[in-house]
Order: sequence, then C-alpha cells, then structure tokens
Amino acid sequence: MATAKKPMTITIGIATSSYQREAPTTVLRLAEKLLERGHHVNIWGFEEAVTLTNANQKDHSEPPGLHEVAGKQHTYVGKFVDGIIRAGLHSGALKWVSCILCVQERGVDANQMGGVVIGTFGDFWKFAHNSDRLIMIPTYR
Amino acid sequence: MAHYLIVNSRDLQEYAGSGYILKLAIALKKRGHEVTLYLIENGVLAARKGAVANTGLTDLSKQGVKVLAEDLSLKTRGVQKLADGVSESTMDALADLVAGGADKVTWY
Repeated sequence: MATAKKPMTITIGIATSSYQREAPTTVLRLAEKLLERGHHVNIWGFEEAVTLTNANQKDHSEPPGLHEVAGKQHTYVGKFVDGIIRAGLHSGALKWVSCILCVQERGVDANQMGGVVIGTFGDFWKFAHNSDRLIMIPTYR
Repeated sequence: MAHYLIVNSRDLQEYAGSGYILKLAIALKKRGHEVTLYLIENGVLAARKGAVANTGLTDLSKQGVKVLAEDLSLKTRGVQKLADGVSESTMDALADLVAGGADKVTWY
C-alpha cells in the first residue's frame, strides 16, 4: 500500500510589488499549486511586496497580457492573494506575513488584507528555520 | 547525490550574471548531481528556437541537465518553437519539483 507523502512546508520570500515584474503572479501561482497538494506555504512579504496585500489596490493583472492566457482566476493580483489566503483555510495552510517596517514606511499598515499578519524578521527567521524549502525571489530591477 | 532545481526567471541575454547560472548547472552535473534548469517568466526567451542563447541551453541538455520551460510564460511571449533539448513544462511540474522532486531549490 502506498504511503501518503508528508506535507512539506515551503517558505517564499518576496520583495517585489505589482507594476514591477511578473514575479508576484508567479509566486501566487506556485503557492496555489502547493496548497492544492496539501503543502504548507509561508510567504514573507517585505520591501515593496507589502503593497501586494494592500486591500485598497485596484484590480490589475501582472503582466497585463496574462489575463487573456491565464484567465481571470490567476490574473488580478489583489483577488489572487485573497483567493489563496482563503484556500489556505481548507487545504494546505497558508501564512502571509508582511514586514512591519516596510508597511509603515509605505503607509500601508492600516490597509493590509484580512488574513495577513504584520510581523518582523523574527517571524521570517522562524519560517525559514522550520521550513523544508526556502525560496527567495530575486529583487532585481 | 542531490537533485538541484535551478529556476531562472531572468532573460539570459539581458543579465550579465546569467552565464553563471549555466556554469553552475554544468558544474553540479559534472559532480554527479541531478540538475533541472526550469525557465520561467523572461527566462523562457532564451528557449525560443533561433535565439542566440539557444546554444547554451542545448549544450546543457546534451550534458544531462534537464531544461524545462513553463508553458504560460511561453504562451504569453509567443514562443512557439523551442530550442533543441528544451521541453515545455507546467506550473504543476514546478510545484512537484519544489515540494519533493528536488532536494535543493535556487531561484534566479
């Protein structure tokens, strides 16, 4: 009889916001697939990435042309973030932490989406320390 | 020996450091490790058949590195024909590699 695979914990650190690169959408798509498989995903958003979880952002896809190819489910950043936070309730667990200094510097501390925790590097260290995989998305411009 | 997954999201033509990613893949392979180079976002531009960067990718493949290119990234960029040695892949495959298929993950 096949043994069920143990869920893994994957931490992804991202510092890229919308309107910069495609990276946030890629991270969201990957996180969605990992959650579907029952794995646990931690996302540490810092620097510009704390604006991804701004509840007041306008709907936009990243990049714009992705909408035609991927469909609505995967394209609008705000809705996508909200969607995987909700998915994390009933599949693999999702934890999304936004860096406290970064949200304050960018004036989005009061606008973070429900389900997002404002935290510190201590939280990131604990994520990294307790994960099976740590992926840092490069922040090149 | 380990299975290394190198995810490349950058255009290999644009970034001077990209060459090191290919060298890293080869070096790991020569040390007996299993290596997968997964191209995503602008990383797939080098996989378009006829691109100058094709040579590096085809060489990697000939030396045993598995070179994959993500389907959505290819489609949005209009890359229809792939260089020799490059195979189309999916986000599902990437998730499977990240969560258990590979032992080490590096994202460039």
